[in-house]
Amino acid sequence: MLTTVPYVASIQKRNGTVAQFDPEKIKNAIQNANNTIEDEPMTAATVEYLTEKVCRDLGSGIPTVEQIQDKVEEQLIAMGFAKTAKAYILYRAEHAKIRQAETDLMDIYKELTFQDSKDADFMRENANIDADTAMGTMLKYGSEGSKYFVNNYVLPRDIAEAHLRGDIHIHDLDFYMLTETCCQIDLLKLFKKGFCTGHGFLREPNDIRSYAALACIAIQANQNEMHGGQSVPNFDFSMAPGVARTFVKAYYQALVQYLTIKGVDKNEAEAVANDAQASIALEVALGNGDKFVEELVSFVGAKLDETLTREAHAYAMSTAWDITDNATYQAMEALVHNLNTMNSRAGAQVPFSSINYGTDTSPEGRMVMRNLLLATDKGLGDGETPIFPVQIFKVKEGINYNPEDPNYDLFKLAIKTSAKRLFPNFSFLDAPYNLQYYKQGDYNTEVAYMGCRTRVMGNVHDKSREVTCGRGNLSFTSINLPRIALESKGDIDKFFSILDSRMDLVARQLLHRYSVQCTKHVYNYPFLMGQGVWIDSDKLGNNDSIAEVLKHGTLSVGFIGLAETLVALIGKHHGESEEGQELGLRIISYMRSAMDKKSAETGMNFTLLATPAEGLSGRFVRMDKKKFGNIPGVTERDYYTNSFHVPVYYGINAFDKIRREAPYHALSNAGHISYVELDGDACKNLDAFESVIRCMKEAGIGYGSINHPVDRDPICGFTGVIDDVCPRCGRREGEAVSIERLNELRKKYPNMPHIDCCR
Amino acid sequence: MSQKTITCNADGMVGENIGFDRIRRITGYLVGTIDRFNDAKRAEEHDRVKHSLDQAQ
Repeated sequence: MLTTVPYVASIQKRNGTVAQFDPEKIKNAIQNANNTIEDEPMTAATVEYLTEKVCRDLGSGIPTVEQIQDKVEEQLIAMGFAKTAKAYILYRAEHAKIRQAETDLMDIYKELTFQDSKDADFMRENANIDADTAMGTMLKYGSEGSKYFVNNYVLPRDIAEAHLRGDIHIHDLDFYMLTETCCQIDLLKLFKKGFCTGHGFLREPNDIRSYAALACIAIQANQNEMHGGQSVPNFDFSMAPGVARTFVKAYYQALVQYLTIKGVDKNEAEAVANDAQASIALEVALGNGDKFVEELVSFVGAKLDETLTREAHAYAMSTAWDITDNATYQAMEALVHNLNTMNSRAGAQVPFSSINYGTDTSPEGRMVMRNLLLATDKGLGDGETPIFPVQIFKVKEGINYNPEDPNYDLFKLAIKTSAKRLFPNFSFLDAPYNLQYYKQGDYNTEVAYMGCRTRVMGNVHDKSREVTCGRGNLSFTSINLPRIALESKGDIDKFFSILDSRMDLVARQLLHRYSVQCTKHVYNYPFLMGQGVWIDSDKLGNNDSIAEVLKHGTLSVGFIGLAETLVALIGKHHGESEEGQELGLRIISYMRSAMDKKSAETGMNFTLLATPAEGLSGRFVRMDKKKFGNIPGVTERDYYTNSFHVPVYYGINAFDKIRREAPYHALSNAGHISYVELDGDACKNLDAFESVIRCMKEAGIGYGSINHPVDRDPICGFTGVIDDVCPRCGRREGEAVSIERLNELRKKYPNMPHIDCCR
Repeated sequence: MSQKTITCNADGMVGENIGFDRIRRITGYLVGTIDRFNDAKRAEEHDRVKHSLDQAQ
């Protein structure tokens, strides 16, 4: 340590924060600059002396890093160390250059302002954000400005370098200083006492239609406070009370109706109904008509003829069923419409919404699911396929997987709907790593996924809270695996040693970001934290720090391009060789145990993510192509293969692909998804569709979906497979068809899109 | 997804320069049209091959 007493106590760092002044850093900088110069020797005493001069010169305020560096330069020159001064200036310039390695911010703004997104790839980073609109562009200005700030002023230098160089990719960098990724919202809990969006209070809903409307509002409100997607883990359980309430209302209305028609005085009938509703402890419901009627008869007693009471009850049950079913359909239809049209983020996108369901066996929950699937099947206003919400059907033995299971009919309906509309996707609660948490009848123990694939379940911070609701990912950063393979030139040991250092770097970065997140308070998230959506935030006051409750979230290390990594290392990927599969599993197991180790060391939930990688799919490979050239099977394409997937271009049997990828699901505990691409119109082959889903379940896949062509002609509304010619109206892409022909078709297909005709 | 109102022209023809919507899944999400994909994802979508359901292999 220096003996010098510093004249200032603090300095202002580049990111604006004030830190303790440490003269040691000045000493080291001078020493390092001098070390590079042979013919200008400097004694230790001289270095001390120079450092003290700089410290003295700083005056009494809080100097910035730049001001201190200016003083160092001045002193070196003043004391005649010209060459050392030059080395120091070069070091500063180099430093600044790395910090500004990305295009100058104003150039980015120019491009954003004067180019269309179709010509600028970086404006299509996320396919569900329209960067051509005013608000989309505004969002991009903010995003690019924020990234620039974080890269240049916030990140530790080596981390910024690793990100800019493409060794790693820090996702959602623009939100680095602001918030977390995503959350599983327990609507049931949220609705219980009503909630406040920050723009008004909404009381506990009383009808399935308001349940569904409030679900959308909750998703929207939370989306505006986080940078990732929003999910409801228990959609069936959450909506069921709404169905029950609608049913009760409809039941008593129908009861009065029947009695009135049968000649009972209306006031008297209403009095009987009101008294019955207030006095009978058992609430009438979809599933308890037989039991309820006995209570009703004994309650009404001599006031009404028993036969009349029984008839009225039977009528009320069946009428209320119809009314409730109809209301539920409307509610689900409205939900799907809303989630495809409502704005978030200043109108630049709709919320990234997901809903999980499948395991509620109550008649109410089942009514919700059946109607949701039917509304999804029908599509939007002109029959378009809904893009949101991502729907995830939870498959579970004993609940919906086998013909004797209570929700098997819904599993079948889910398959039929997915074969037409691509949703729902399927998650598998029987996969051992999901099953270990499962307790029948407790939705909080059922693993739920974010639409993109994120999964949060284990909890090293609090083993007693290994639950789904109120938790999510804090942030994630991906490692460029193929680059490590290219750097190690086929040397497997070297590969693992570089991988180690990259994982250490990323872990350090995730903790750095977490420390930023820890500086926030409940008031920074009026909905997420203020309304108790995030786990345990309901125990916090408005001015409390969120640091502690964030520990229930995950810090995830992601990866991309396992296939290219294996080709670079041994010439073959895991889809085409056993050796590849063996090494692939070795690499991913290695990464997973590193995460488990980090978790044990820090008490934070470090997890391994099979990164979704939309913007990233091209970024790494572009940089690696420049650095290593065009290497067949590695850098030759414009994208790196997603996570652990068998390459999309590789011909493989669907079942083999599933079995190849399944073991990686067990390892990537922060989330995973597998796809199978089916040819032709999946609606015409539901058995094949089901066989693929069943294979996924048996193989131990956690989350999967089947891709198949869903094309649509916006002119005649045909949905299905369109090769070159539309099978309905016969036009080719871009060609016109006569209005007469369309009017003729409309007789057969009354739901064809609306056409404005000027004639 | 096509968002404009569909109109017919003075000759009573509809659909000129209007393409087909092709809905695809990327990163777990659906996207209404490939036009909004970034260049890399467009290349990936182009390369995707179908998986056979032939059990005997």
